[in-house]
Amino acid sequence: MSHLGKAPLIFGLLFLLAFPVIVFRGDDRSDTLEFWIFAQTHYDEFSARIPAFEAAHPGVKVELRLISKLHDKLLAAFLSGIGGPDLSEVEISSVGRFFKGTKEEIGFVDLTDRIEREGISDEFVQARLAPWSLEGRVYGLPRDVHPVMLLYRHDAYEDAGIDPKSIETWDDFVRETRPLARDEDADGRPDRYPIMLSAHKPGHFWLLLLQNGGGMFDENGGIIIDNDIAVATLEFYCSLLNEEQLAIPEFSQDPASYAAMKEGVILGVLAPDWYISFARRFVPELEGKWRAMPLPAWRVGERRTSTWGGTMIAVTKQAENPDLAWEFAKFAYMDDEALANRYRKTFIIPPIRSAWSNPVYTEPEAYLDGQVLGKSLTELAPHIPGFHLNPYWAEANDLLRQAVYEAANGIRTPADALSHLAEQVRALRNNSTETE
Amino acid sequence: MKPRYAPYFFLAPFFALFGVFMVYPLFDSIRLSTYSVRGMRNQTFVGLENIERLIADPLFWTALWNTAYFAAGSLLLQLPVALALALLLSNARLKGRNLFRLSFFSPVLISGVFIAVIFYLLYDRRYGLVNRVLGSEIPWLQDPDLVMPALVLAGVWRWAGFNMVYFLAGLQSIRQELYEAAAVDGAGPWQSFVHVTIPALKPVIAFVVITSMIGSFQLFDLPYVLTEGGPGNASMTMVMYLYKHGFEFINLGYAATIGWALAVIIGVISIIQVRLFGVFREN
Repeated sequence: MSHLGKAPLIFGLLFLLAFPVIVFRGDDRSDTLEFWIFAQTHYDEFSARIPAFEAAHPGVKVELRLISKLHDKLLAAFLSGIGGPDLSEVEISSVGRFFKGTKEEIGFVDLTDRIEREGISDEFVQARLAPWSLEGRVYGLPRDVHPVMLLYRHDAYEDAGIDPKSIETWDDFVRETRPLARDEDADGRPDRYPIMLSAHKPGHFWLLLLQNGGGMFDENGGIIIDNDIAVATLEFYCSLLNEEQLAIPEFSQDPASYAAMKEGVILGVLAPDWYISFARRFVPELEGKWRAMPLPAWRVGERRTSTWGGTMIAVTKQAENPDLAWEFAKFAYMDDEALANRYRKTFIIPPIRSAWSNPVYTEPEAYLDGQVLGKSLTELAPHIPGFHLNPYWAEANDLLRQAVYEAANGIRTPADALSHLAEQVRALRNNSTETE
Repeated sequence: MKPRYAPYFFLAPFFALFGVFMVYPLFDSIRLSTYSVRGMRNQTFVGLENIERLIADPLFWTALWNTAYFAAGSLLLQLPVALALALLLSNARLKGRNLFRLSFFSPVLISGVFIAVIFYLLYDRRYGLVNRVLGSEIPWLQDPDLVMPALVLAGVWRWAGFNMVYFLAGLQSIRQELYEAAAVDGAGPWQSFVHVTIPALKPVIAFVVITSMIGSFQLFDLPYVLTEGGPGNASMTMVMYLYKHGFEFINLGYAATIGWALAVIIGVISIIQVRLFGVFREN
């Protein structure tokens, strides 16, 4: 082997050095918390807060990781049983995939007993615990409430002589805003629309369905997406897009929607708290022209809001020190001043009732012509609807996209589209039951 | 250690990694395709049921059709464009041709996600550059009949410059004497192209056609970001469908079946192409 020189010896030495590092690496990481997040804004917020937690817990280190494709990687970690963080945030549109199979297979720590034992359950808006709960067990703390309001062009309403207070129900909305949808260039289509709704994605329909008391599954796992409430909601939704022509189909991407807002083509948007901050950031030209009102109710005196989007923090079963991870979860999500700072930047209302007494929520908002947005949002927050998670949630949610597309584009009637969707979800459930 | 073992010693790390990350998953995915997977670890043996389900699954056929459409579009549109660019940019009299070469090649250096975002803006119905230029309001990404052509065009922009480089390399290897001989025989530019350039480029064309076809059947990032498979399922591709079942529905058994169906389809098409082009055939 002399012709190879010292290469094999060097290889051998490197292997001997690397082997113990790989095999015996990080035996005790119980004082280190690895925390995965998916958004830069969250990274900025937590990286500013972590030193305070580390100072209060000497010897503890929090490793904050901004992870692209977090949900795929977290799922891979759960499937393989290794490589996962101690804590992770999860976005609501991806939550279904983590709640498949039996309770034992769920990769998150059941937090129900901790929440009850520490008496913090009542502090949260109860409907906000639901998206992170399955069969009565809670697996995450909510980051937000995301109450939805109707962002409308106050100047256009004034010009048309529309009093926003006269709009209490969706029927009122149709009647009162019809004059806004004028076709001045006689091309057969309005030049301005009182609202923007998606004809291809389910988000807007879903929030209206929740507001109307509907959903995908009931508390017992029954499929309710084809009931009378769902059909009536989708029929109304499609009528706004088609027969009434009061809704412009959502644009392919937000910049186009913002451009349409600037041009005055879109006069109203279904806006959760976070969306209003997006409008402030991307459509600054309309400062002082927008105002936000509670959503029109489906019936007089009923719910005037809904909810759209959300994030939770969860402790994973791979956490070496779940107690420490739980302490950090509470610290990260329940600090009053941090929540107030978040509101200033994003308008996101925290799900903790006690936090709403912070003066920041009574400050007038210049973008909305001085309206006290925080007050409106916190008044609506307790009334947001909840929904019931289910092991078939991911598949059902995907099928909902198809149903809304088919109904909004006249491929099926709303009743047919939802009936077809329900049949598919039932077949999925029945097939799974058979293979079990 | 005896000298004859030394190569194996050095090759061992590669084979160890190849075995763990390629061979084992390959064979395990065959096993997985015979199971129904529900939840993180609950697996039930179902034999060939996943294949039966696949054959009866209309969405699988939609995804296959869309993928084949994109592959055909790549073949019929992208490769002629790439060859035309290569011919144009191989002309020594063209000023600034290196700059043009770099410009046409550069899209392949950009991530697919970023390209999708750019095309999102270009294709917008009301404010997109494409409609502004055409003076129209064509719903490129909202019309089920237009979304796949729109994706093919985006694919042409992304990959034509890359394939152009292969054709350029092939063109540079053609001996000038062949063109001179053809000219002596009275051949014009078109006849030289048909009877000299194309036959001489045949190995390059074969390579580009086969790799483009394989790449097209693996299409994922562009439609995933640009259309999410919509409108409806009009731009759902096979890899998107696989991803959906594997990583959104956690139905790994069915996802593995889709993966093997894709592998078989790519394999069959590649073999046909290899035979048609006479690759590996002497002379």
